[in-house]
Amino acid sequence: MIHSIQSEWLKTRRSLASWLVVIGGLFIPLIFLYDRLRHFSTMAENNAKPGIWTYYFKQCWQYMSILLLPLGIILTVSLITQIEYRNNTWKQVHTTPQRLSTIFLAKLVVILTMLLQFFLIFNGGIWLIVALPSVFGTVDYPSAPIPLDTFGEFNHRFLVGSLPIVGLQYLLSLHFRNFMVPLGVGLAIFVATIIGLKWEYGYLIPYSYLSYFFMNNTQHLLDQGINIYYCALGYFAVFTGLAWLSYRYQRSKN
Amino acid sequence: MEHCIHTKGLNYFFSKKEQVLHDIHLHVPEGSIYGFLGPNGAGKTTTLRLLLGLLRQQSGDIHIFGQPFKPNRQSILGRIGSLIESPSLYSHLTARENLMIWQKVYQCPKNRIEAVLRLTGIADTGEKKTGQFSLGMKQRLGIAVALLHAPRLLILDEPTNGLDPGGIVEMRELLRQINQESGITIVISSHLLSEIEKLVTDVGIIHRGKMQFEGPLDELMRVRRSHSSLVIETGAPYKALALAQQTCGEARLINGKINLPHQDKTTIAALNHQFVMADIPVYQITGKEDDLESIFMQMTATTPTQNPLL
Repeated sequence: MIHSIQSEWLKTRRSLASWLVVIGGLFIPLIFLYDRLRHFSTMAENNAKPGIWTYYFKQCWQYMSILLLPLGIILTVSLITQIEYRNNTWKQVHTTPQRLSTIFLAKLVVILTMLLQFFLIFNGGIWLIVALPSVFGTVDYPSAPIPLDTFGEFNHRFLVGSLPIVGLQYLLSLHFRNFMVPLGVGLAIFVATIIGLKWEYGYLIPYSYLSYFFMNNTQHLLDQGINIYYCALGYFAVFTGLAWLSYRYQRSKN
Repeated sequence: MEHCIHTKGLNYFFSKKEQVLHDIHLHVPEGSIYGFLGPNGAGKTTTLRLLLGLLRQQSGDIHIFGQPFKPNRQSILGRIGSLIESPSLYSHLTARENLMIWQKVYQCPKNRIEAVLRLTGIADTGEKKTGQFSLGMKQRLGIAVALLHAPRLLILDEPTNGLDPGGIVEMRELLRQINQESGITIVISSHLLSEIEKLVTDVGIIHRGKMQFEGPLDELMRVRRSHSSLVIETGAPYKALALAQQTCGEARLINGKINLPHQDKTTIAALNHQFVMADIPVYQITGKEDDLESIFMQMTATTPTQNPLL
């Protein structure tokens, strides 16, 4: 299994998806960093505030969770999975001495690893917004400690909220040769999510959990006995299961 | 004889109405270079895909290295190198990076990467991405991928597609060298007999999903000899024709020359002697053999029951 994962990881080298993870992870933090540097005069004052870390953390996640992260996952998962279709390499992969389950899992592990990589880069980017000016000695490093518990909890929730998108995009990208299908369906569900958030049953839309987690307005759902954390995990399990069945019982291995 | 590949009763349906393979029996001898021939759409690629497990087996048996394929899929695939249709390459990576991907999967020594790059003559491609490779270079890299884990069996589907004549000759030399030096069994499919007749030791001919011929190349050569004819040019064709018909039975006059079926040397000498004795000037006696291409064309132009060669 480990060799299969290494092999899958090598395929992502210099790929568009790997660039997307790095650029997507740094995009919003760099905009905020630029904004801070533009207002250099207030930087020292801001750094002294106790809520400096949380402020930038929430600011960055606001744009990321609702808009960029779902789009990024739709694009990245499709690009990674479609590497084989694009290069006409499925037939070579399927004539190697690997179990189909190993191939399936190795690809999924690589996708999830890239998602983690994105989270690390994004959080690192948030740290840079606040810390970079201090590193160069222009202002003091914030005296307030980084609220690791809060950051960890939010990251954890966002990660879980991303999983249904990963699952469905993986299913679609494995099943359809045409790159436009997973991309088109993904974008359609994304748009439906934005519209459907106000709907009382909006929590049924599998791509909605990132927004729910960010808005932190899940209490009314919990009161109804609906835990969207488990909904997200459930969707991920169902989509991944369907992806496996679709892959396993494909008539031709291309 | 040991068979590297042995199939029995392979049938394959794309749909209920469309049967693409009919009762395919293949016997690929160990250590041979087996030419799998047939026109486009004959069923070559479907058969090879079945052998590699790329298509779900519907009926019949496949034995490779003496083992049934289905229950031993992984262990068998670990000893097979393949190139099906176009080479499978990651276009954003270099040749070495492409090979590293497969080296990880096959867990073969890293030095095999340089070895196969040198063997296939693409060791100096450096940092060039395979997406920028010429078709010939891609084919070479495809062969390198197939050879990376030192397989016992190489399955190549139309590996010379898109190659220029020089490339075809080089590919042939490379395959011959691999076969002779490493004893690898090679199955190579083609729709052009002339392209591989100088390379193969055994031949299987498929047409419309049915095997038309299978056996050593020598046997196909014997078929060719049995279909050879004798052409005699004389100064008195009609007189000579009468004599030839008396001696050999079947003789025809075509374009002023006498055409006879294949004759042994003694009969040819006796016939020539008769012509000389009858004062018929003999200008030329030539043997005319059907080339393998025309035999192949005859085999694939008719149904098996009509085929005079079977």
